[in-house]
Amino acid sequence: MAQVSAANTQLLVRDLTVRFPTTRGTVQAVNGVTFDLAKGASLGIVGESGSGKSVTAKTLMNLLPRTAEVSGDVIFEGEDVRRLALQGREHFWGVKMTMVFQDPMTSLNPVKKCGEQIAETLRYHLKRDKKTALAEAEDLLAQVGIPEPGKRVNQYPHELSGGLRQRVVIAMALACEPSLLIADEPTTAVDVTVQKHLLDLLDKLREDRGMSMILITHDLGVARGRCDEIAVMYAGRLVERSAPETLFSDSRHPYTDALLRSIPRIEQPSHTRLEPIPGRPPELINPPEQCAYAPRCRFAQADCLESIPDISGVAGMHEFACFHPANTDRGREALASNLASGRTATGLEISSAGASS
Amino acid sequence: MAGSGHAPLREDLEVLLTVRDLEVEFPVGKGAVVHAVSGISFDVAEGETLGIVGESGCGKSTVAKSIIRLNDIKGGTVDYQGNDLAQLEGEDLRSLRPDLQMIFQDPISSLNPRRKIRQVISEGLAVWGDEKGSWSQSRIEELMLSVGIDPKFGDRRPHQFSGGQCQRIGIARALALDPKVLICDEPVSALDVSVQAQVLNLLEDMKKRYGLTLLFISHDLSVVKNVSDRIIVMYLGKACEIGNANELYENPRHPYTRALLAAIPEPAPTVDVSEGDISGELPSPINPPVGCRFNTRCSHATDVCFTDEPEMQRVGDSDHYLACHHPVAVSINGQQAV
Repeated sequence: MAQVSAANTQLLVRDLTVRFPTTRGTVQAVNGVTFDLAKGASLGIVGESGSGKSVTAKTLMNLLPRTAEVSGDVIFEGEDVRRLALQGREHFWGVKMTMVFQDPMTSLNPVKKCGEQIAETLRYHLKRDKKTALAEAEDLLAQVGIPEPGKRVNQYPHELSGGLRQRVVIAMALACEPSLLIADEPTTAVDVTVQKHLLDLLDKLREDRGMSMILITHDLGVARGRCDEIAVMYAGRLVERSAPETLFSDSRHPYTDALLRSIPRIEQPSHTRLEPIPGRPPELINPPEQCAYAPRCRFAQADCLESIPDISGVAGMHEFACFHPANTDRGREALASNLASGRTATGLEISSAGASS
Repeated sequence: MAGSGHAPLREDLEVLLTVRDLEVEFPVGKGAVVHAVSGISFDVAEGETLGIVGESGCGKSTVAKSIIRLNDIKGGTVDYQGNDLAQLEGEDLRSLRPDLQMIFQDPISSLNPRRKIRQVISEGLAVWGDEKGSWSQSRIEELMLSVGIDPKFGDRRPHQFSGGQCQRIGIARALALDPKVLICDEPVSALDVSVQAQVLNLLEDMKKRYGLTLLFISHDLSVVKNVSDRIIVMYLGKACEIGNANELYENPRHPYTRALLAAIPEPAPTVDVSEGDISGELPSPINPPVGCRFNTRCSHATDVCFTDEPEMQRVGDSDHYLACHHPVAVSINGQQAV
């Protein structure tokens, strides 16, 4: 993992908090998220739906609805991104920082030819004339590995397969040579073989252009193979952050630990009993002042219900937000005492079946 | 790839469902047809879980829907306990419907949003009754309890439940009529990973408790392996490899199976995926390639693959069948296997 120092830091996010007022109350979508991204590095943000990973990305991209209440700092190459938004600097997003969305069909305009859509970006941001822009669009299609780019520029999105469409979206995102690409579940809508090709493409482009990337995914496997660092989110908070290998072999947060255990693995024989995470993700409206994972946690103790653990540890190495981390003595003690009484501090009944270390 | 032939059909077992040479086509106008399923044969033994994997558009959902006659069948037979489901019509077909139930991919849209979940679960019973021809609220409560939904929520409507809970309700609805075969079409792909394991475990429990036979469709190879006894790998309307789940993943012989396994973001060290690289896109099922349907993307393809369609053949003497002219040799601990 690249060490983050002031010189090569691309993106600095400090204490980012996003709230959405609704008729039912305020949704606390993102709660004090802090991370750094070095130039040329790739960060994976992993979490389930509702964990705040997409809202974090949209905040960076200034795509939140006006009703959202945002606080905290987002510094990109020394510039305060949230101030840029207030100044109406529209040639920042889409030029220096761009985003690829999950569903290529809804992020492309169905009644415009693919080439024109890419050219539009170039004409708007970089003021290219129509002819140059179209020629560049064709070149971009070739760069993202689309066969017969000369033919594809004149085709409509519905004439392309899902994999090719996502390549067009990637070409569009790359048009203005961004230094940071945010990919929000870029391969969730495609098949596993296409997924591999798209992720290979993103890797190659990142290397060729020295671009940084934030890859948002619910698939820990995808993040493991493609990122220098993984941040796990739960209920709007970063709960663990480390290099992929550390995360997989020596996870600290009980949520990460449980997530890794609940996923069926290809090397296990068939009919291996899975260890599901009990319960469901918490409500984000008026959450109690306690660890959000405590109600589902096998390690939960009385102190987990009294305050919210801060994320701590060695910055840039392995950070986690837990009072009784898994794979440590403190965690083992907590689990042993919970197993002895048959229930955790939140009343969750647990048994030794599938006991975690 | 991709072959026809009856080699994978087993005669020695208590086979519950046998599909032979199933063909399904959909007209798309101007005389063109989509060859969705082209001559696939397989069987499912009683109490077995058969997994079907493949990319989108390979025909796996069409196979499932054909079995319960949600779409028209052009050719072939679907033998279920001596009845050919492909031919049955009217009351004969209707009377078999309770035996074959289905769970769908999107748990929320597959439940009627205006109904209370008690009504959703009991609708089949209201039509059929249980074994005795009648049914009681206690039967509904028992079903809800068995899938882990508190019966006191029976008067709630689907939008008041999470995706995982809705899928549990979908399972309870399917189980209400005491089916023999449960067809699960991507039952966990819309669920979060932490909830996915709950539903997969529930399906395993229900299978044991009610003696179900499962047909499990998914594009997720790890999920399919976890639930299945036997797996079919499909490509463009054909089967390429069929076999025991563990055997198939340890010794994948078809270049396409290898390609699928190689594409998993985190390939397991125990799975040999060498020579599993594919390029290109799925060809159109309107004009599928002649010969082996995988020939446009296969690095092993030779002339014969463009003229002759490979037939399903048994690999060695294990439960493993393959349709390929040039199967990938498997090396186990350095030794070349047959």
